[in-house]
Amino acid sequence: MNLLSVTIIILTASSLGTPLFQLLDDKKSKTPAYILIAVLSMSLVLVGANTIWPSTNASYGGLLGSDAIGGFFALATLGVTLMIVVASSSYIRGANSPIYYGLLSFTALGMLLLSYSQDLLMLFVSWELMSLPTYALAGYDKKRVQSNEASVKYAIIGAMSSAIILYAISLTYGLTGTTQIIPAVKALASQPFNPLASVAVILFIAGFGFKMAIVPFHMWIPDVYEGAPTTVSTLFAAATKNAGFVAAIRVILAFATVYVLTQNPLFTLANVIAVLAVLTMTLGNVAALTQKSMMRLLAYSSIAQAGYILVGFVAYAYSRQTNSLFAEATIGMTGSLFHILNNAIMKGVAFLAAALVLLELKRGDLQAYNGLGKRMPITAFTMTIAFLALAGVPPLSGFWSKLLLFLSVVNGPFAWLAVAGILNSAFSLGYYAWIIKRFYIDEPESAEKVNEPLAFIIVFAVAVGLIIGLGLFPQIVTNFAPSAVKNIFPG
Amino acid sequence: MSFLLSLLIFIPLVGTPLVYLVGRQNRHAGIYLTLGLSVITFLLALYSYWFVYVHPPALGQYALTEKYTWFNFQFIGLDYLVGLDGLSAPLVVLSSLLSILVIIGSRRLIDHHEAEYYALLLFFEGSIMGVFLSLNLIVFYIFWELVLIPMFFFIGVWGGPRRKYAALKFILFTFTGSTIMLLGFLYFYLGMPSPSFDMPTIQAMIQNHQIPVALEYLPLLASFIGFGVKLPVVPFHTWLPDAHVEAPAPISVLLAGVLLKMGGYGFLRISICLFPQASYQYAWVFLLIGAVTMFYGAIVALLATDLKRMIAMTSINHMGFVLLGAYATVASGSPLGVEGAIFQMFTHGLAIGALFMLSGYVHEQAGTREIPLLKGLKVTMPRTAVLLVLGSAAAMGLPPFANFLAEFMVIAAGISAYSILGVTILVPVITSGYFLWFIKRSILSSPEEGATRRDIPKPDALAIASYLVPLVILIVFSYLIIAPSVPLAQFIAGLRGG
Repeated sequence: MNLLSVTIIILTASSLGTPLFQLLDDKKSKTPAYILIAVLSMSLVLVGANTIWPSTNASYGGLLGSDAIGGFFALATLGVTLMIVVASSSYIRGANSPIYYGLLSFTALGMLLLSYSQDLLMLFVSWELMSLPTYALAGYDKKRVQSNEASVKYAIIGAMSSAIILYAISLTYGLTGTTQIIPAVKALASQPFNPLASVAVILFIAGFGFKMAIVPFHMWIPDVYEGAPTTVSTLFAAATKNAGFVAAIRVILAFATVYVLTQNPLFTLANVIAVLAVLTMTLGNVAALTQKSMMRLLAYSSIAQAGYILVGFVAYAYSRQTNSLFAEATIGMTGSLFHILNNAIMKGVAFLAAALVLLELKRGDLQAYNGLGKRMPITAFTMTIAFLALAGVPPLSGFWSKLLLFLSVVNGPFAWLAVAGILNSAFSLGYYAWIIKRFYIDEPESAEKVNEPLAFIIVFAVAVGLIIGLGLFPQIVTNFAPSAVKNIFPG
Repeated sequence: MSFLLSLLIFIPLVGTPLVYLVGRQNRHAGIYLTLGLSVITFLLALYSYWFVYVHPPALGQYALTEKYTWFNFQFIGLDYLVGLDGLSAPLVVLSSLLSILVIIGSRRLIDHHEAEYYALLLFFEGSIMGVFLSLNLIVFYIFWELVLIPMFFFIGVWGGPRRKYAALKFILFTFTGSTIMLLGFLYFYLGMPSPSFDMPTIQAMIQNHQIPVALEYLPLLASFIGFGVKLPVVPFHTWLPDAHVEAPAPISVLLAGVLLKMGGYGFLRISICLFPQASYQYAWVFLLIGAVTMFYGAIVALLATDLKRMIAMTSINHMGFVLLGAYATVASGSPLGVEGAIFQMFTHGLAIGALFMLSGYVHEQAGTREIPLLKGLKVTMPRTAVLLVLGSAAAMGLPPFANFLAEFMVIAAGISAYSILGVTILVPVITSGYFLWFIKRSILSSPEEGATRRDIPKPDALAIASYLVPLVILIVFSYLIIAPSVPLAQFIAGLRGG
């Protein structure tokens, strides 16, 4: 029995066990939350240990492989889920809370399995295991119309993207006769150009793109993030989004040598992703600037972050396609992984801070944030650090990941991507600084102090510590990341 | 003491949370702690200056260097590398000296959120030390960005009526400029045969002709945008009048006295020393922009009616001298220009610092900074009036203030580059014109009836006066500043065609 199996078993047990508390009389008991906190903490330790000392004897019939990249994503997604559960323990009030934690646990299990998937079918099954509970979670506030709307919208979009992914998988299987990711891609690369293969790539980009929040598959994001309970929005922005990225890294990047659409040098995967990256970061930032509600602002800024992450994908895909610039590819993918981790922390904590403001002030418009530095000093400080890190202000963690990302493309045909990214970063400070201005410069509407619950303060402290700590010691991530990059396409 | 320079950076930075915690409990203890830490920093800065003065580093070398590997990944190597030479030493002394003046002035002029204010003041001081001392491009950039954050809050929280607009404008201009600068650095770095962010290593590569000239153009342009916004040069200057007018007086001292010097320092240290061939080819562009900036600043100052705006535009005008002097050396090979530019940065910092601080006292007492409305200061605020006249004389470049010498050196170097630049002699004339007009209108006029104003307190007056004293001394003992800068000036002069 290896550590990964143990993790899967305890998460399964908590997924099945926590909803049973619904049968008890005390439906508002916080016991399910505490159980899930314990299980997730244990899972983090186990996965961490499994990543540092990988077990080689686990085979899972080729469905799962406990490699470094899986470990990285498992740690990132489970860590964010833990943050969310801790914050939820003082955010979620209602009779159905055992169900809420059970669904969260199922999602966590899905994300864990997805991180380690080596087979397209396993990937699809864990994708669904992750997604289905979130449709219900989005509608958890069943008496709020927006929450219901978010749930329905998300379920329809999610079902569509699942169908698209499944179709792409069936095309890949039809062309290669296998559902194992690496053998399938190797088989495709050895065949002459086949238009069906590029259809499969496009469908994969579209299917995963919904979760990753890349333009033009982003339309659902602001509505769902705004409508869903805010802790659930945090899950979408910081956890399931990363699951989209791990699927993209494992599947789409493996197709780096396959042309998209036609056998034309313009339609290489690197070019297509580069265009998507610029569109995504630009649209996200421009739209974020005009928002009046914090949730929508964070949603659009979340879209923009996805654009930055794609920059590393471009460097990797270009390197694979031309068989050159290997150091740049490693730097770029390390930047992407680092930024995925940073985004999970920065976005996660920003969403949770917004959740606390919504909980205490019952308002989500930007006006409510005026003078927050006086009313909720810890929340305002946390958000300030998170925003500065999101804008890439040194020496916070977001600076390093963006530095690596832009450094990976500045020397080569995608230098324009670095220019676009840097200008976007500068532009994004416009709205982040605007919010920080509201915290500390604008006068509050009322001067009364607002309670900041301990659960939230703990989450904030850990996240701020990580943002500053990874900023001062970026080597922690960059030492580890290259071994993960090697897993993307071994050989 | 090989960790002396790190102390200069980290004493203020580590002091930041301390001052905040102490200041929240006890206002006076917080202020005196800030003052104490600043004085210690100043003394250490003075000692390091003396060290550079006695043991001047050789051409293209640095004194008191410290080097630790910070970040090492693939081909990216990042060192924490600090060092001192004749360019950074005067600026380090100037920054720590002005910080003390700012703390003294803030006691009376800042009246809310004091714990936060003094904590940010130390944060600013530490970051600015980091800018002047780092010799690694990325670490330099990190400190460069860190400076923005306290300045954003200084303007935004403690500023005047339009402070929100001014703070946002400030941070957007400077952040955009500096990200473009970073992009230039990255491009330059990746193009090098053996990439390095360490400036001494890059300079050695340049001297061995290992860096192709074609690589220098884009980084030069990018650094021009980054430093040009800070200096500022026309047309990137529009954030400055707003920031200055809205910022409280002590912060204006930091803005003009220290923050603008970052631009001048960047031009000398990076644009010229690291991109010498491209700088040489385009020196005429920089000279032209420098001259335009000088004239523009002077003419707009002439039209300004707000006292602070007038002094702010004088800063633009005087920073034009720095750009002109620096590139005059590049173009002509005469070291005079760089020496003059460094001297100008030092003397401008002291004179303008004193003037901004005085404008704060005037504003506090008279309730306005509009020059036509200020009347008879010589009667109502005699001590302030005397100091204002002396400060104006220094800013005009009137002997016996050393500003005269600095401007003289720059103009002489400009003429040796292109004789047409002799027209810049008109700039000090215009400057004298508006300062004399201001003195006539606001100081020598007769006061409005019944106007009673409290004069500047004697200790504060003494403190401000003591900032003008070095200017008088330096006109005689100018070699105190110029001697350490000679190796750098010769180095830059030698880059030409080299």
